[in-house]
Amino acid sequence: MSALPAFLLHPTARRAAQIVAGLIFLASALAKIADLSAFAGSIHNFHLEPFVPMAATNLLAITIPWIELIAGLALVGGVRPRAGAVVYTVLLAVFTIGVISAMARGLSFDCGCFGKAGAGPVGAKKLAENLVMIAVGVIAAVERR
Amino acid sequence: MDRWWPDGTETGSRLWQGIVGIVATGCVLGVAQNALVRHGAPTAGLAWKYTPPTLATLEDVVAKSDAQPGGSTPLPPDMNDPLQIGGSATSGVPDIPDVGRPIQIQISKVKAFFDAKAATIVDAREPAEYAEGHIPGAINLPYDQVVTDPGRLEDFDPKGKPIIVYCGGGTCELSMNLGFSLVNAGKKKVLVYMGGWPEWSTSGYAIAKGATPEGA
Repeated sequence: MSALPAFLLHPTARRAAQIVAGLIFLASALAKIADLSAFAGSIHNFHLEPFVPMAATNLLAITIPWIELIAGLALVGGVRPRAGAVVYTVLLAVFTIGVISAMARGLSFDCGCFGKAGAGPVGAKKLAENLVMIAVGVIAAVERR
Repeated sequence: MDRWWPDGTETGSRLWQGIVGIVATGCVLGVAQNALVRHGAPTAGLAWKYTPPTLATLEDVVAKSDAQPGGSTPLPPDMNDPLQIGGSATSGVPDIPDVGRPIQIQISKVKAFFDAKAATIVDAREPAEYAEGHIPGAINLPYDQVVTDPGRLEDFDPKGKPIIVYCGGGTCELSMNLGFSLVNAGKKKVLVYMGGWPEWSTSGYAIAKGATPEGA
């Protein structure tokens, strides 16, 4: 990973990124678990029918927040943090693809990304936020050679 | 000292183990939690299978309120007699029962309300879409702004008339969501026009362009 500046590959930078990523996921997981039906509604708003059967959106809503929670705990606690970071980055990448595809289809709605607390419409700002969070995930995941 | 915490060596199969472990544990916990919650109170959890919400139609609601014991059962209105269509003989618009949830309404009824100026029409789309064209007199109340600023619901005054919400058609999440938000905010007689802007604008009815209700 020579593309990253050396200071981002420093173990302290990686550990810091893991804690930040973990806290982000813990916050988002707890907000979603507190109001699962709102999160299910948000998933439904993305209109994933071409890719995911509509009937399955509730199963995603039930499981995603708990995957976020476990990944967040792993990242913050430093137990298998790299696995946590990979799960974090992949999930965020999927969310970001969802945001981009929603923007491309002209859909406009609250993304439900952090439950109701962090409500914000799907758009360029949300996209930028996600890209920053993915960058944190990449820093948290890279292995120092 | 290179590092002061246990990082382990997470590479190869050990990394994959961790990833699969996190995803599997999350799925199991999620399903278990939902099962427990549903076991206690079925409405508190999520059904495994998602079914999109549907709104009762005006006809359903009127038929149900008529069928209630003690309620009068009027004869079906004679469609050839304009004085009998709907409940209000003077304006030709139906009476809307107050049922505490949004009701679906079709374009013919929307037109009747529009002609009689008997309803407050609300456009749930973004201001830019509203400016490109909307039903004349419709107030722009973008659902996205309501989400971030619930005060806009409190400030919204339907002036005692039924509220007709519409948006960009299709499955019409914006109208549905705004309809439910309005009901939750204590507004009465909320109607959702599912056909929305695509149907209205292609029906040859009057439209307005610009950022104001009556058009620029």
